[in-house]
Amino acid sequence: MKTYEIPNEIELANTLEQKLELLKQIGRSFSVFRIDCGSCNGCEIEIFAAITPLWDPERFGFKLVANPRHADILLCTGPVTRQMYYPLLRAYEATPDPKIVVALGACGVTGGIFYDAYSVLSGIDKIIPVDAYIPGCPPHPASIIYGLTTALGVLEQKLQKVSFEEEGDLPPLVEDSVLGNTLFERDLLVQAKRLMSYVFGRKLFDKYIKALVQSGNTKDPKATKVSITEAIQTEEDPRYAECMGILHNEIYTQYVLCEEEDKIDLHRVIWGAK
Amino acid sequence: MMKLLDISKKYGEITHKYPFEPYKVSDNFRGKPAYIFDLCIGCAACGIACPSNAITVQFNDDKSKLVWEFDCGRCIFCGRCDEVCPTGAIKLSEEFELAVKFDKSALIQRGELDTQYCTTCNKPFSAKRLVKYSFECLSKANVSEKRLEEAKNYLCMCPTCKKTATVATFTSGKEMVIE
Ligand code: SF4
Ligand code: SF4
Ligand code: SF4
Repeated sequence: MKTYEIPNEIELANTLEQKLELLKQIGRSFSVFRIDCGSCNGCEIEIFAAITPLWDPERFGFKLVANPRHADILLCTGPVTRQMYYPLLRAYEATPDPKIVVALGACGVTGGIFYDAYSVLSGIDKIIPVDAYIPGCPPHPASIIYGLTTALGVLEQKLQKVSFEEEGDLPPLVEDSVLGNTLFERDLLVQAKRLMSYVFGRKLFDKYIKALVQSGNTKDPKATKVSITEAIQTEEDPRYAECMGILHNEIYTQYVLCEEEDKIDLHRVIWGAK
Repeated sequence: MMKLLDISKKYGEITHKYPFEPYKVSDNFRGKPAYIFDLCIGCAACGIACPSNAITVQFNDDKSKLVWEFDCGRCIFCGRCDEVCPTGAIKLSEEFELAVKFDKSALIQRGELDTQYCTTCNKPFSAKRLVKYSFECLSKANVSEKRLEEAKNYLCMCPTCKKTATVATFTSGKEMVIE
């Protein structure tokens, strides 16, 4: 649905050639006007992080201005709420021609997490023509700098549309279980993720399995207790150490017959933490 | 004024050289989800987990392919797809240089998977790879030969036919493998 017809004179003054010509001219000094079209302010915080001395975009002439009439580039954030629709259009029309419009953040590019909310138009390009898209929620200051320098032609664009159409062979995905029962691995991974979230949970799972295999006989509760305790003692990070003990006590004992004394004592002093 | 110079001397030059030198992001940075097509089985777990529907998994028009599509412009880098993917086909990478010029379709990644048709009613219901993967899981999970043989049949049936077939075997008094 098109809600806004671009006036003829603006359209004529904003052809691709004219924009490229402008980009050539403003190469080392350009003014940016920032419009917040209903963003959650995450993007704004990152824009201001990007103009701190840590990133210092004035190295290549980036300058925020307070008035669209002084701007070369419009930096639009947010999914365009109904309230911000007219202010966006006024800023767009007030900017001198030719103008470059940059959509910043997942919201600006497509509506992001708010794309199907009732009060938004989801994306700057639904209303006005956009020249550069910077995805991210919010984009890292480096991504913003990259986006602007790409728009200016200093750096090359890296992403291209990727489409896989032919299926190759599926590599073998399921590994043999160390206990001869894949349910053990399943429960172990679920518990590991519950304890330490998915990124660290996977690392915990790998560490635990490695220690278990090192015991020589994974089905012998005495041998595994020794090797897991050893792994706990050598582990630098106390979180992994304790969670390995918890995994052993909670999951391993369900799959291998264990006495009470085969469980690992989780009290830190006993396994000799540094 | 002198004080200011002292301070700046103390801290030295802290401006990152980026973009003239590569920038190293910090550990566990959540960048663009990298998709490994060869590992994807088309289970659509990521599509369900994705809070902003950046990933969609649906049949194409003539239902000959199951199309997995990811729109980087809508992704909020939450990592839920990474969390749920059973095969590690989608993992957050450290890539942060994502901006594109003029053409938004450069943000899209897609993969087309072969469709599995139901052996009974010929309705498309899943991806071939998903069926293969499920069978691989079962074959490593200590189930008996007979049950595995049974699984080979019912894995290739759509949910409706599976239900009918189960009811039919129950009512006709055929032997079922129950463990
Ligand atoms: S892209 Fe993310 S951070 Fe930026 S405005 Fe939208 S929700 Fe906020
Ligand atoms: S990181 Fe989050 S928003 Fe992005 S594709 Fe994965 S689940 Fe969706
Ligand atoms: S295998 Fe992973 S990437 Fe493929 S559809 Fe399933 S969850 Fe998504």
